[in-house]
Amino acid sequence: MWTYIARRLIQTVIVILGVTLISFSALHIGGDPTFLFVPERASDEQIVEARKRLGFDRPLYEQYASFVINAAQGDFGRSLTHRRPAIEVIGDVLPATIELTLFSMIIATVFAVPLGVLAALKRGTTTDGSIMILGMLGQSVPSFWLGIMMIMLFGLDLKWFPISGHVPLLEPLLTGDFATAFTNLPQSLYYLIMPSVAVGVYSLSRNARLVRSSMLEVLSLDYVRTARAKGLGEFAVVVHHALRNAWLPFVTMIGLEFGFLLGGVVVVEMVFSWPGIGRLLFDAINKRDIPLVQASVIVMSVMFVVINLIVDLIYARIDPRVRL
Amino acid sequence: MRLFRLALMASAAIAGASSLALAAPADDTIVVGFGADISTLDPGEIGSRSDANVAAHIFTTLTRISESGEVSPNFAESWSVSADGKDITFKLQAGRVCEDGEALTAEDAAYSFTRAADPAMKFTGNTPGFVFPSIGYTGAEAVDDTTLVVHMANKNSLAPGFLNEVYIHCKDSYEKLSKDDATAHPVASGSYKLKSWTAGSELVLEKWQDPGNFTNIVFRIIPEASTRTAELMAGNVDIITNAAPDQLDAIDASGSAKVQKVQGTRRMYVGFNQKAKFDTPGGMAIKKADVRRALQYAVDVPTICQQLLNFTCERATGLANPPHDNKDLKPYAYDPAMAEKLLDEAGYPRDANGVRFEMTLQGPRGRYLNDANVTTAVGQYLSDIGVKTTVELYEWSSVYVPMIRAHDAGPMFFLGSGGGLWNAQYDMSDLATVDSGPNYTEWNDPRWFDRWADITKATSVEEEDKIVNEMLKVFYDDGPWLLMYFQPDFYGVSNRVSWTARRDEVIELNGASLAK
Repeated sequence: MWTYIARRLIQTVIVILGVTLISFSALHIGGDPTFLFVPERASDEQIVEARKRLGFDRPLYEQYASFVINAAQGDFGRSLTHRRPAIEVIGDVLPATIELTLFSMIIATVFAVPLGVLAALKRGTTTDGSIMILGMLGQSVPSFWLGIMMIMLFGLDLKWFPISGHVPLLEPLLTGDFATAFTNLPQSLYYLIMPSVAVGVYSLSRNARLVRSSMLEVLSLDYVRTARAKGLGEFAVVVHHALRNAWLPFVTMIGLEFGFLLGGVVVVEMVFSWPGIGRLLFDAINKRDIPLVQASVIVMSVMFVVINLIVDLIYARIDPRVRL
Repeated sequence: MRLFRLALMASAAIAGASSLALAAPADDTIVVGFGADISTLDPGEIGSRSDANVAAHIFTTLTRISESGEVSPNFAESWSVSADGKDITFKLQAGRVCEDGEALTAEDAAYSFTRAADPAMKFTGNTPGFVFPSIGYTGAEAVDDTTLVVHMANKNSLAPGFLNEVYIHCKDSYEKLSKDDATAHPVASGSYKLKSWTAGSELVLEKWQDPGNFTNIVFRIIPEASTRTAELMAGNVDIITNAAPDQLDAIDASGSAKVQKVQGTRRMYVGFNQKAKFDTPGGMAIKKADVRRALQYAVDVPTICQQLLNFTCERATGLANPPHDNKDLKPYAYDPAMAEKLLDEAGYPRDANGVRFEMTLQGPRGRYLNDANVTTAVGQYLSDIGVKTTVELYEWSSVYVPMIRAHDAGPMFFLGSGGGLWNAQYDMSDLATVDSGPNYTEWNDPRWFDRWADITKATSVEEEDKIVNEMLKVFYDDGPWLLMYFQPDFYGVSNRVSWTARRDEVIELNGASLAK
């Protein structure tokens, strides 16, 4: 197992290098970014001085190599727009994105399993049909459109939920301020509901269909028939026997799910004014804040890779047939 | 029955929970929804309109510009200009303090200037980057506690107006602050101090001295326009900026808010880039003044405004905002027949395909009101008179801005330039020299640029105005802009508050109050 982990960590480094190289190249396609960081009436001398100070006068390969070497030592540079260390800026907003992603994952997984199981058990019935239609709808609707519609209906017309904003929950927990976290909990969850649904609906729909098809396959196997023949109750047959095998593909999806949700939060964070890393990255790209973009990309890549590694380890644990 | 009870419990939970989050602002609080984030509160770095609108409540300034464009006293009670025009002596209010109790005197005012101008600080904000070069700032000194002298390289009658953008702060507190600290922990000299700032979310100011009718000002960052509108209509936000034109009717019909449409000061124009690299037949054509003049008649600007902006725009006759524009100049009429006639006379008849010359018109996407459609419409109008135009639209900040700032957009490009309320020369200073950064067209007509020296030598306001009008006439006849309109601004204002929007995008809340 340790060999496997070591191999995956090496792969992680290669993935991060690749991702940062692509984002670095993309940011420089539009030309010299110096102009974005000098006043409109800057003189030629001021522009040259700024270009030198920001390091944009160096060859691109040198700029990239310098960033990689510094990043390896934990120095991700200073945000050009926030004028603070980039990693600090990211640290301010990352908890909000983790809250949103985790809650979305809960919606995408916790509800997907019972819906998928119900659809499989009621195969061919109206229940099954309804769940599948809702599943298709959920996968067809863009998350930003869904978010805006939810704002109009549930936020503005019905006034059931807040339209936008965020109450921190994870951030006080991480800083040890448990009293504040406890006080904030009801409000935090309240603000989380609509954006999480907007982000999680697509994955919920897909996962429900995945669980359904997996369950149908397992329910037709001999051992399930044997379990029923032995007189076990339906609940025991479905949950203790069938589901244990049916959800293995689903567990694999969770790791990929996290990456998908992390990418999907960008637009939803804009719609709901959620102060997360997705919005930060969007602004940083627009403003060509190259250190902040690079640092954000690294952080998100590391998160994605680590989550997938953990999922693979869990998968090996629950399926004895899998050897790492 | 069980299902009914569950549904009832869920409804009760929702109803109860809704009280947690959906309360309107308290009576002592006003909430403003911004589309763009606030990046710094360091007086030397402030550059964006959002940052400036917040900073104006935290810091005092020597002068202020009123809603009608008058330069009026603020921290400075009065001022006088030396005989050679290069020194301005400001008489400051006595007895002022900063939020930490430190006395605010002329020494602090001088420090505010020298800190912003210090090359070691490498500030890139509006004060060192625009104000100081515009007035030819060379230094500031305190004569006594209430007397400040600002030195300039040349006489500049506009300097008092420009100085409304220099933020005065206390010396002792800022000498102790690092640049990082100054970004996020300002020490107030104005009516409000920073209470809390959650980056990307909201910034809260608290009143600590007059003037101001609200104890708290909350600036909420809501990037998405429809979300801003929804928050306004729900009563959670009192004022929103940049309301989308397609949402104005919904706001007015909401019963909880109204739209204030103001004629803004941003000059919208199509630039004719004179840069040598644009040597295509079209690029060479627009280097001729008579061709540029012909094209002024080609575009139906009023229709563009009405159809695409849902507003009857003020037409531009030059760079200067009304009421400081040249009153003798009338906006170019939409007269395609005249445009065709002038192009024929300029030596550009239609060929067998009906084309006079080809042109590329570049424009941004998502920066100005309906900019992509306006640019496309202009392109079509030009094509209709035989200037076969290809429209290229670019993402604003990462693609278009570098092109514009490098003077590489063109040969024609659509752009807006912020202006002011208070003086024609302020608006004209975009083209103060041939080399000035905002001279994106690289225009170099000496009938314009040589006259700036004449303004400096003028001995009266009347003489200055005469020169200004002559310059504006040159710009109108032969200038590098296809003159279009001043962009309207749309603000959503809750019925809960009484506040009037300004034309110059300044959000001034000291005078805002609860509606009666």
